[in-house]
Amino acid sequence: MYQPPPRASALFGGIAFIAVIAAQAFAIMTSPAEGDMGHLQKIMYVHVPAAWMAFISFFVVLVFSILYMVRKRENDDLIAASAAEVGAVFTGLTLALGMIWGRPAWGVWWVWDARLTSTLVLFLIFVGYLALRSFVDDQSQRARWSAAVGAFGAINVPIVYMSVKWWRTLHQPPSSPDTLDPAYTMGLRLNAIALLLVTIYFIRKRYEIARLERATEHLAESVAMGGK
Amino acid sequence: MAWKDDWRRVRAIARKDLTTELRAKAGFNGVASLAVTILILLGLALGPDGEALRNAAVGAVWLATLFSGVLAFNRSFQVELESGALEPLLLYPGPRWTIFAGKLLGNLVFVSLMVAVVMIVGIVLYGITIPDRWPTLLGVTALGVVGLVVLGTFYASMASRSRAREVLLPLLLFPMLVPVLLAATTASKALLGADLMHESGAWIRLLIGYDIVFLIATFIAFEHVIEA
Amino acid sequence: MNTIALNQTFIIAAYSVTWLVLIGYAARLLRKGARVRSEYDRVARENTGAVKQ
Repeated sequence: MYQPPPRASALFGGIAFIAVIAAQAFAIMTSPAEGDMGHLQKIMYVHVPAAWMAFISFFVVLVFSILYMVRKRENDDLIAASAAEVGAVFTGLTLALGMIWGRPAWGVWWVWDARLTSTLVLFLIFVGYLALRSFVDDQSQRARWSAAVGAFGAINVPIVYMSVKWWRTLHQPPSSPDTLDPAYTMGLRLNAIALLLVTIYFIRKRYEIARLERATEHLAESVAMGGK
Repeated sequence: MAWKDDWRRVRAIARKDLTTELRAKAGFNGVASLAVTILILLGLALGPDGEALRNAAVGAVWLATLFSGVLAFNRSFQVELESGALEPLLLYPGPRWTIFAGKLLGNLVFVSLMVAVVMIVGIVLYGITIPDRWPTLLGVTALGVVGLVVLGTFYASMASRSRAREVLLPLLLFPMLVPVLLAATTASKALLGADLMHESGAWIRLLIGYDIVFLIATFIAFEHVIEA
Repeated sequence: MNTIALNQTFIIAAYSVTWLVLIGYAARLLRKGARVRSEYDRVARENTGAVKQ
């Protein structure tokens, strides 16, 4: 019998969200105003962790795509797909926050700065993966193809970042501040950990949904075949 | 001895693909015409200032190549799809990688010829003077074409068998080709000038690395995605 | 002075967008989760019914 997965704990989700509120409150209240940007750098506490979550999600996609190609277990494919969706959300958020930060900092909504551009390409890779899944109906084919596309996309991420960075280095554009004053690192770390909890909750919840959908399909098939 | 059989299979598939394509009216002529048309349209959109066109030439050539290339890649699997020949091809004894290698070889020849046409037309339309380092320029172009064809063939083996193949192939392929596009265009631009900063070397190394990584990856993964 | 006020708008915008996305996605997951679970329960009931026959 195909068992549905256990419910992703709502308690865990609640704790994760509270952790984010607490981390943000801490960071906002304790970080001093910076040079000419004033308090603008506070956006970093949501922008940077969001970017990190996007990368972590992509890494999960890579691992479980390869696992699926090796073990051919449906659950591996479902975890990869869940991580891809969550990763797409965080990548989109990273881009939006990057633009919101950029507008007052640089005066324009978009610059072809290395990190922003690379993140945009990363977003497109995620979108392509999700589009592939929606265009393929056969479950086995969808899983096998997603695994290849997911793994290749993930492998390409560092290459994309490197090539975009080289593309930009000769042109000295404004770029997101790199060096971090130790005054800010604690706040950043707390926010990153809190957001990681939320990410884990999202992926688990999304995975639970995917498992349930498959379980329902299996059940419906066995009903149709008049069996157990 | 088995290696000789494999290589014969590869050549047979490549020859079959090339002869069906090159003979078919809508095959090479159609795709090459489209590429040239794109080049002309880009010239109209970006010109008529000679300076602007010369700056845009490299980008225009590569974009025309990319957009026409996706047609070529989908078509390389179309023939089997329409005649239902993919299953028999898979059932025929012999390792699967030879199918991919055959398609790859066929597409390499096809796209190389197309790129040659596009470059010649581009040189004329965009007022390019052939630089001293033109052999290196050809080398860069060749490396870029390899990257394009390897991933294009691989993704087309999936996209051509899915719904909305016209939109899915570019959506999957283009973000993956960002490193190729950046490397080929930036290095080519440098080589058209004097390459005072010797940057073409680094880009060439990137292209070689990219080509090797994805040649290996696609050959490994093809087995997984070709099952019907 | 003006810059600081302007910056404040963007800081608020950033945090608002963040929470909109986090809560919005969570809500979407919860709604979908409930719908999918009730669908599963429905089919499970039908299945037991079919077996009983």
